[in-house]
Amino acid sequence: MKIECTIDGKALSLSVNSNKPLSLILIEDVGNRSIISHCKGKACGNCIVLLNDEAVLSCLIPAFRLRDATVKTFESYQKTRLYRDIQRAYKATGNTPCPNCYASKTLIIESILQEATNNRGNKTLGRANVSRHISNEDESALDKQAIVGELSLNTCQCMDMAEMLQIVEIALTYRRRKRVRGN
Amino acid sequence: MYEGIRSPAIHSPKTLSEFATAAHRYPQALVWAGGTYLMSRKDYYPSEIKDGIIDLGELDELKGITRNDRFVEIGSMVTASQLLFAGKLVLPEILQITLQSLASQIVRKQITIGGSLCIPDVRLGLSTTLAVLDATAEIKQYQDGKVSTHWTPISKLYNKDGKLLLGPQKTLLTRIRIGLEYGDFQRFIVVEDPIRNTNECVIVAFQATRAQNTLSKVQFCITFPNKAYHISKDIESKLSGQTLPIHPERVNSLSYELVTELRKMHGMISDLQLERARRIFESFLHELNSESLSS
Repeated sequence: MKIECTIDGKALSLSVNSNKPLSLILIEDVGNRSIISHCKGKACGNCIVLLNDEAVLSCLIPAFRLRDATVKTFESYQKTRLYRDIQRAYKATGNTPCPNCYASKTLIIESILQEATNNRGNKTLGRANVSRHISNEDESALDKQAIVGELSLNTCQCMDMAEMLQIVEIALTYRRRKRVRGN
Repeated sequence: MYEGIRSPAIHSPKTLSEFATAAHRYPQALVWAGGTYLMSRKDYYPSEIKDGIIDLGELDELKGITRNDRFVEIGSMVTASQLLFAGKLVLPEILQITLQSLASQIVRKQITIGGSLCIPDVRLGLSTTLAVLDATAEIKQYQDGKVSTHWTPISKLYNKDGKLLLGPQKTLLTRIRIGLEYGDFQRFIVVEDPIRNTNECVIVAFQATRAQNTLSKVQFCITFPNKAYHISKDIESKLSGQTLPIHPERVNSLSYELVTELRKMHGMISDLQLERARRIFESFLHELNSESLSS
């Protein structure tokens, strides 16, 4: 099957099996070095990419869903300004994920930041929409719980969840500041 | 790398009648909703797929959510994430909690309602909660070019081991319907990750109506993802009509009755899972008691 798509800014015409997972396409056909694992959909969380700007597990995306899609892996994401917020947060906390999960954890954090800055009113990430009678304090606690849920998508144990949460909070502050300046 | 394997043809029907034609022409084709379950199978790739894949991604008829005074209808290609967002004012709380427990937000965007209900051999939170909510599913059966449609309760879609009971002919779950009258006490608990730790996972959904300290319309479903899908009509009827608070000894005896029933009907469940199920069930009854005493 011939698939036209854009990967890391390059327009490609790939000749691959129509049901081949994106993670394998990136490893075998594109030669991407930021994807290092193919867990066959067991949700190890090490193959996250941005598909049309939304974070997805690439092992769960078949080739036929890539028609005219834009795929951004960590290789191209790390060249963007958005990455700097997370990189600065890593530096500020003095904690960095291990090389095995660095790309995926960074992209998960990016998806959390996008969710938190774009859909603040919608709160699709938090549990705040569940109960209409919970207090503001509960809301923030529950949001944290949802963020922990997102972060645990990557099963690598190299970092403590509290450290990860701290990184997200700091990166979110940088991102918001950037937005305010932009506006 | 896998040169001997032919690339499966992709059929993308845009309407249900086009799906009927494709299903008739390619009876062995794989029906593809979100793909999260199919792609997580060990034998998914590389493998030969006869008759190709029928991709439901372009079937807009299956992507709607409608509501009237009595029920909500949800298309089977609505994703868990879309439903969670769209239905926050419409859906019962237990269903929202269930949807949030399915996976992380990143994966929820891909999980479809129909796909989650039609996993052949593993039952997850959605089928547990929808059974408790008395939801029904519209099933279309395609045989020899003819289509028949019927509504089936979600609880009847599976056998006691949790295996999907849709027949060998091509079938399509097109939408589910959830009534808007539900109990005022709803709880949903999932212990352990049903995907990563299937053999130790327990999923329990429970709902009941309380009126003047009397329990009624008690419904609960206990799922052990790859082992059992259990609805105990006996214990439900024993609980319905009970006056609150229920005596602790009665709570204890009911929970052990549940364990005996589970042991008798499902030999595969481990002791750890049984104990977890018993304690969760007991905790719901204790919670009912404490709420009745504090009100």
